[in-house]
Order: sequence, then structure tokens, then C-alpha cells
Amino acid sequence: MTIAGVIGAFVVLLAIKTTPIAFAALGGTLGERSGVINIGLEGMMTAGAFAAVVASGATGVPWLGAVAGVVAGAAFGALLGVLATRVRVDQIVAGTGINLFALGSAAFLLVLVYGQPGASKTVPSLGNGSWLLVALAFAVALALHVFLVATPAGLRLRACGENPSAVAAAGIDPLRIRLLAVTAGGALAGLGGAYLSIGELNLYSDGMIAGRGFIALAAVIFGRWTPLGAMGAALFFGFFEALQFVLQGSSIPSEAMQMLPYVAAIVALVAFRGRARAPAADGIPYERNIEEF
Amino acid sequence: MRGIRKAFGAVTAVDGVDLELRGGEIQALVGENGAGKSTLAAIAFGALRPDAGTVERRGTVGLVHQHFELIERMRVWENIVIGREPRRGVRIDTDAAKRAVRELAARNGLDVDPDAIVESLPVAMKQRVELLRELERRPAVLLLDEPTAALAPAEVAAFFATIVALARAGTAVLVVTHKLQEVLDYADTVSVMRRGKIVAHFASRGVALDEIARTMVGGELPKVAARASTAPVPRVRVAHLRAESGDNAVRDVSFEVRGGEIVAVAGVEGNGQTSLADALAGVLPYEGSIEGADARGVIPQDRLREGLVPSWSVTENVALGRQHARARRGALLDRRGVLQAARAIVERYDVRAPSVDARVATLSGGNQQKLVVGRALLDDPAFVVAYQPTRGIDVGAAALVQSRLMEARNAGAAVLLISFDLDEVFALADRILVLYRGRIAGTFAREDADRAKIGRLMAGGT
Ligand SMILES: Nc1ncnc2c1ncn2[C@@H]1O[C@H](COP(=O)(O)OP(=O)(O)OP(=O)(O)O)[C@@H](O)[C@H]1O
Ligand SMILES: [Mg+2]
Repeated sequence: MTIAGVIGAFVVLLAIKTTPIAFAALGGTLGERSGVINIGLEGMMTAGAFAAVVASGATGVPWLGAVAGVVAGAAFGALLGVLATRVRVDQIVAGTGINLFALGSAAFLLVLVYGQPGASKTVPSLGNGSWLLVALAFAVALALHVFLVATPAGLRLRACGENPSAVAAAGIDPLRIRLLAVTAGGALAGLGGAYLSIGELNLYSDGMIAGRGFIALAAVIFGRWTPLGAMGAALFFGFFEALQFVLQGSSIPSEAMQMLPYVAAIVALVAFRGRARAPAADGIPYERNIEEF
Repeated sequence: MRGIRKAFGAVTAVDGVDLELRGGEIQALVGENGAGKSTLAAIAFGALRPDAGTVERRGTVGLVHQHFELIERMRVWENIVIGREPRRGVRIDTDAAKRAVRELAARNGLDVDPDAIVESLPVAMKQRVELLRELERRPAVLLLDEPTAALAPAEVAAFFATIVALARAGTAVLVVTHKLQEVLDYADTVSVMRRGKIVAHFASRGVALDEIARTMVGGELPKVAARASTAPVPRVRVAHLRAESGDNAVRDVSFEVRGGEIVAVAGVEGNGQTSLADALAGVLPYEGSIEGADARGVIPQDRLREGLVPSWSVTENVALGRQHARARRGALLDRRGVLQAARAIVERYDVRAPSVDARVATLSGGNQQKLVVGRALLDDPAFVVAYQPTRGIDVGAAALVQSRLMEARNAGAAVLLISFDLDEVFALADRILVLYRGRIAGTFAREDADRAKIGRLMAGGT
């Protein structure tokens, strides 16, 4: 292969590895800017990946699988949203619960639907159509940037992450905004999961998300809670995943290589710590009608 | 409002209140700390639901919060237009928004920079932003909860000029305040609240200040402790101090505060007071030297942001900052000692809290302030930095806090008082420094302090 060929192949790999993390990180950014920390990204990706496989297999139309992934992610996002706003469960506890619940129910449904544990049968994949999703990830990053910076709804969403009482004082319901933000964030994470299962691959297997939801969480912070930053951070982590993939089979033990993206995440977080501040009310539940004087 | 009642657990904050606000009228609401004024205002606004009673509103209601309700990390214009953003297509029309804010500010004589980030602004400026946000909504009823607590005298006059103009144009105004002179100067009527009830209602013309004060506290006002004669000893020496935070700076300031004296810094807010206080408190880097300021007690500018952890209890807040030395027993916190200290403060400063285990967020503003003052003076510090120590405190409690500062001085403490209230400055100070644009514009001994001259220096004259 020529140098150009090698670089080209690596760029393709980079795009493939970046996309699922990017969708989840953009979803996480949306949630945190509204004041809800989404620990459940991993579970939402799991739900998206599984639902996409089931729908694609059942209908034979992979794009319906992608839609199912979005819907499943949004459903789990809405669940987190309701728990975190109306029921006021601690956000970290609720998100962790969602991760366990999504993973467990996917494993269970796998047996129910396909009659076998571990992995599904193969289903129709998006094939070259998955490049549309890669492009979509970049488009979403740009659109979210404009949304947050320049639109009234974006201003209100950001304000919810800073001081929800002030938003309420302006006559807007901060709980509703948070619920919508987390639901939309879940939809994006679900799409990221669907990309993994029917874009990059053509099946669901247990544990296939493999911590990408948590890497996305790191990308939210590394990206300084901005959509463009999250996209950049996703590229950074995607690079190390791609590198790990390329270096597999070299003399370095594969277990050590597999650690690469995760080590990169830790190093990046430490190196860039303290450069930006999280939204002031990030992770803090808003209580209506308990005003503080 | 009719028959309004509101209880928080065992505390009845508002206990059967009837209140009517009329368009074109400014009504003052006064009362001791914890009397229920803020609670009543929040109910009138609709942020709190009363347990009993009815509220009838004609038109929109605006509330200026005692502790502000601002989005600190956003810009002034964003804070003001949120919820009613001017649009161009799907986007916010930023230029129109800023223009609207500028016009609104000019129309009301409340100058602000629409592009400033709120958290970088001094308290008085935040107060303006909070008011402008409400004015932008053109409310038919405007509720102001201690709007002038953080303002300098000149600003107070400008502020009320705006309010009076609004009232003349038909707005109904309720203003909660502890500054009784404002009541006489600007209000049409005044209601006095005590322990959740409205106990008196006067037309403010013809009523005497003393009478309002006596009705408020239900008896005679306490007197400020007498100034004992002391033999001042060198204690704190500040030389060529330079420090700045945001656009607030002190530039080459030198002075001394001796043990057994109160040195007051007079000046209009924004002339370097914040930087001076923060440098002395050890929370802002500085150039120059500060000697002898280590054993200090600090009463910070913003009680909720710099003084207290609102979600913690009274006791925990008393331990805060003392955990390394005083409140320690071996490696552990000295819980009993802290509890005793908390009880002592609550008693000595008349902090009205349901118990020392109550969350500080549930205390009324004035009671939070008394707690901060009590903690600062708890261990008989050799040096006290007091920034607006009576901010938001009722007249009775203000006399109490001033007495405690005077007693600390009498017992040999060096006290630096930063205040925008000239009455307070004259009541307490042994020496007065006038701060103007970050420099000391004049120094006066108590005996030959000339009010008119100090006023001129504060405004940049000679
Ligand atoms: N959220 C709350 N939970 C419990 N108690 C509360 C709460 N809010 C207020 N209180 C109590 O209700 C009483 C009235 O408080 P309020 O803030 O209305 O007083 P205030 O008259 O505004 O006093 P100040 O002049 O000090 O601001 C106080 O005893 C206070 O501790
Ligand atoms: Mg109050």
C-alpha cells in the first residue's frame, strides 16, 4: 500500500471509531448543559444498539433499525429525565440504574428473541449507508452549536444548567426543558449505539458498547461542555481506538493495546483539567416551590 | 391578598395577613429579621403557595429577590431578555436585545454594560440587573425585597427616582426595607410586620421614624455599646497594597489599623473596596505588604456566596473555616465544641432559627447575616474585616451587631469597617479613610471628621 493508501484507510477507521462516541458525547453535552449529568449514556447506547438489530432483523429494512435505535435511546433518556426531574432521584444513581437495566434487559431479550445468549443472529446492516450517519454526527455537532449559542431555546437550556430558579422566575418551566434535553440526548446516544450494531457491524453482542458511553462522558468534559468540543474530543478518542485496532497483532500484547483509548481518556482529563468549568447547576436537582431566601 | 398563612414545618412564617397594593402607590413593608416579609413577597409573586388564603392579581407581577436570581455566568443582556428574546428567524436578534437593554437602562437611569458577565459585577451592579430584568417585563405590580441593601446613598436616590416615576405611571409598588429613612422619604404608606402578622399600617407622612422602629421591635431600640477609651497598639500594617479583581482595584494603598480602634473605609461602592477586603481576607493575590493580619475574622461581602454553605446546618457553618484549629479534637471535629459555639452565636446575636440543626438556606436573610457576623467574631480575633456588616439587618439587630464590633474594639481588636452607610461609619469609626478610584483620598480622625468634606472626597472632589 502507498502512504496515501495507508492514511486513507486510517481515516476511514478513524471516522468509524469516532462516530458512536460522537453521538453519545453530543447527547451528553446537551443533557449537562441543561443541568442533568447523564451517567446512563452507556445504557442508552446499549438500548439503541439492541433495538436497531431487532428492528432491522424483523423488517429487513436497516434504516428502520436506526430509527428504532433513536426511539429506544430517547425512551431511556426520557426515563432518566423523569427520574431526575419529577421524581428527583439522584442523577448519578438513576443513570447507573439505567446502565444496569439496559445491559440486563438486552441480555435477557437476546435469549427471548433469538433463543441464544451472548449474541444475536446477523441482520441487514446499513452498509455504505452508514457513511450518512458519519456525516450526520458532524452536522449534529454544528447544529447543536448554533442551537445553544444563537437560539432562544438554546439560551433557556443553558440557563437551566446555570440557575434553574432564574429560568423559573422568567416564567419558563426548567423541569420541562431538562426533560426534553435529556430525552434528545438519549436519542443521540441511541443512534450512536445503532451505528455500532448495524452500521459498523451487523449484530448485537453482549458488552459490545464496551465503555464507549463512559468515554463519551469523558469527551463531554474534555470538550468543555460544548458540542464542537465534544466532537473534537470524540475524534481524539476515536483516534486511539483506531490506533489500537491497527496495532492489534503487533508484538505488543493485545490486552495492553485495548487499554489505549481508556488510558488516553484518563490522560486527557488530567492534562486538561480545570480549563473550563461545568455548568453551575450541573447535576443539581431543581426543586420547584421550595424557594430559598 | 386575604388571610394569607404559610408555615415551614413548625415555623409559621406568615400568619393571617391581609394586604392590598394599589396602582400608583408605593407601600413599604418593614419588620424584624424573620418577620416573614420575604415569604409574603414570594407568595404575592406566586413563587410560593400559601397554606391558606387567597391572592388576587391584576396584571403581571415582578419580584426583585433579596438574594438575586441571576444567571451568574451569563451576560447582562441574556439575563434580562431571557424568556422574551427578540428574534430574527430562529435566532436571537442579539443586536436588538442589547439595544433594548441599553435603552431600558438609559430610560431608568440605571447604567449597565449589556455585555458584562454578571459574576464579574459588584453587588450594586447586580442589583441593577435584577431590577432591569423585572422592569423589562413592565409589571403592573412590582415587589422589591430589600432592593437598596447593597446600594450606596447616591445610588439609593437614583434608584428611588426610578421607582417613584414608575408608581406615578400607575405601577403598584411594594418595597421591603430595613432603612426606615427610605420609608419616610419615598413611601406613601407603610405596613409593619412582626412574627408573621401585620401589626400596624400608617400613612408615612407625619409618622415618626422612632414610632415605626418601636412598632417593629415591639419595644425600645437597643443602644449601641459605648466607646471605651483604649490605648491603641500597632497591629495591622498595610503598605503599598495593589490588588485587583475584575474592574475593581486598589492602587498603592498604605494604612494602619491598630488594636483597640475601628478604622472605617468610606467610599462609593466600586472604588476598590472589594479588592481591598479580599486581599486582607487572604483570598486575592496582591502586591505590597500586609503585616499582622493573620488572626483575622472576616465578614464577607456576599453572605451566601462567600460566607455560608446554604445547604448545611447552622452548626456545620459555624465549624466552617475553623476546622483546622479551634474546632478540632485530634484528627476529628470537636462536635460538642462546635455545637456550643453555634448555640452561643445564636444567643448572643439573636439569630432566629428553628434550631441549630436547621439548614442555613431556610433562615431569613438578616438571620444569615447575624450568623456570619457571629462566626467572624467568635474567637476574639485580633483583626476583624467587616464588609457591610449590617447589610439586610433590621434596626434592632443592626444596633446589636454594631455593639459587638464596638465591644471587640474595646477589648483590643483591630477592626477594619468597610461601609457605604455614612451613618454607620460615623457611629463606629475612630478613624476614617476615604477610598476613591482605588486610592486613599483622605484620612480623618474621629474628632475632626467633616461630613461634607468626606462626601466631596467620595465623589472625587477635594
Ligand atoms: N424554605 C424555608 N424553610 C423553612 N423555614 C423558612 C423557609 N423560608 C423562610 N423560613 C422561615 O420563615 C421565617 C420568615 O422568613 P422570611 O425570609 O420571610 O423573613 P424576612 O422578614 O424576609 O427576614 P429578613 O429581614 O431577615 O430578610 C423565618 O423564621 C425563616 O427562618
Ligand atoms: Mg427577607
